[in-house]
Amino acid sequence: MQLEILNLARFYDQQRGLAPTSFTVSKGEMIAIVGHNGAGKSTLLKVLANWINPDAGIAMFDGIDLKNRAALVGKVGFIPEVPNLFDVFSVEYNLRLFAALTHTPFLRVEEILDDFNLLAFRKNRIQTLSKGLQQRVNIGRALLSDPSLLLLDEPTSGLDFEMTKEIHRLLKTMHEAGKTILFTSHRPEEIKSLATRIMVLHQSRLIFDGPGEAYFRSEIHENLYA
Amino acid sequence: MMRNILILTFNDLAIAFRNKTFLLILFVPLFVFVSLNLLDESGAEASKVRIVLVQHYAYAPAIIQSIMAAKQHIEVTCVQNEQDGVRLLKERQIDGILTPHDEATGSLALLVLKKDSIAAITIMQNFSALQKAAEGNAPDWISSIKSLHRGDVQRETLPTWVLMLVLLIGFIILPMQVAEEKEKKLLLALLQTPIHELQWLIAKVILGMVLIFIAVLFLHLLGSFGPLHLFDYSIFILAGSFCFSACGIFLGFLCRNQASARTLGVIFYLPHLLPAAMSDVSLKLTAVAPFLPSYQLYKPLQSILLEDGQLASMSFDWLYLIGLGLLMFYLSYLLMKRRWLM
Repeated sequence: MQLEILNLARFYDQQRGLAPTSFTVSKGEMIAIVGHNGAGKSTLLKVLANWINPDAGIAMFDGIDLKNRAALVGKVGFIPEVPNLFDVFSVEYNLRLFAALTHTPFLRVEEILDDFNLLAFRKNRIQTLSKGLQQRVNIGRALLSDPSLLLLDEPTSGLDFEMTKEIHRLLKTMHEAGKTILFTSHRPEEIKSLATRIMVLHQSRLIFDGPGEAYFRSEIHENLYA
Repeated sequence: MMRNILILTFNDLAIAFRNKTFLLILFVPLFVFVSLNLLDESGAEASKVRIVLVQHYAYAPAIIQSIMAAKQHIEVTCVQNEQDGVRLLKERQIDGILTPHDEATGSLALLVLKKDSIAAITIMQNFSALQKAAEGNAPDWISSIKSLHRGDVQRETLPTWVLMLVLLIGFIILPMQVAEEKEKKLLLALLQTPIHELQWLIAKVILGMVLIFIAVLFLHLLGSFGPLHLFDYSIFILAGSFCFSACGIFLGFLCRNQASARTLGVIFYLPHLLPAAMSDVSLKLTAVAPFLPSYQLYKPLQSILLEDGQLASMSFDWLYLIGLGLLMFYLSYLLMKRRWLM
């Protein structure tokens, strides 16, 4: 198993957070994490990304404790729902800054700009770009160090049809490249077309974990979106 | 490690340039410079004055009798020698020292901190009234006024402006920049790279120190103010910029967003600025000011710039600033490790 989670928990209050949760993930899986707002989806991803510290439990990636940030740098990439880029600077500056900090050759920046169709926008300030383009830069930045685990928090939230299709294409390409991907989503069609496995969080608890076909046939799906 | 610190520092400087922080850094000294040229002299107001007499000096008996008789207006302290009096004057425990005038027999010389201060004017008013009551229109008892402070009125206010710049950057600009990086999740993005928390903190402290040095240097260049002891002055600017940069970063960590950082910054800025800067004109503020960290910077700056003070006699002050800075730095590190309000 590439990712092993045992009783991982984070408490905000009685209703919110993440109740003790356990699951494992194999290399190359593409997992959709589904649930209502406040169910704990983003909290789970943030704990896995080391953005917030868990209150209990263990998370291991390739045998390394996820709390060991230094050892996992470059192996785990997190793309938050709202792009977190230096918005007063250009696309190229942002990518080069993070390339410098991750000791990635600048040639990789050119590859990312090309792969994500960002060459035409390389000199544009982030704040002048649409959310879809910003999200592309955000994903591109996360891929600079070529991480094997990608965590995406509602990657297509607020995007139009064309941009959503573009993000789906990128996710499929990354999945085909062998990356393990966990993403949260509210869109049934997105979950159906992308995920090889679905996990449902409800009121901070994991209530379903299985293949897509089983999920879409289950009452959980009907209740969730009834 | 150094490479990452340099990358982060240059990135921070570039941000400061892009988000117009540099305009503020240049505007404030310019504002100070204009204000200094428009400065009016303040009026005097009557109050009880505190005078020192030196024991072994020979004062005219008539003058001493009159001073002793005017206890309601003049508080007299006797000291062994003039140096003790100068010390009390520097510590703002007295308003002036009376010594026999070397050249005019029977008259006095007055030593005050500033010639045009409220205290000096009040002493002169009191002695003028006392003399008229005792001798009528005889020659003035005080025939000479000497000032402990060197320089003109512009230079007199320089320590206050320097303190204002240091506190502005420390308590307003830095907390806002830290809070912005937290609010936009930029700090968390940076922490997904191999940088260590300490590297980020050091880069932020360097940013604060660089901004303070630029602001102070620009102020000196505009006003052509040369410090009396450049090395001693630089050490205190260094210690003060470190201390208040670390304080600012800590304040930034206490806030979730820029708006709250700005508010918290002002809440800290004004109480630190006013008592220190106003301590020369108010006895109450003189008593309160030493409890504020800003006074440990203001007092030495004033001493170096105006009183020929030197670093050797101010060890406590710069050690205090460095110590407080290190404490704030450590607390910021703890909050950062806990991802406080991120």
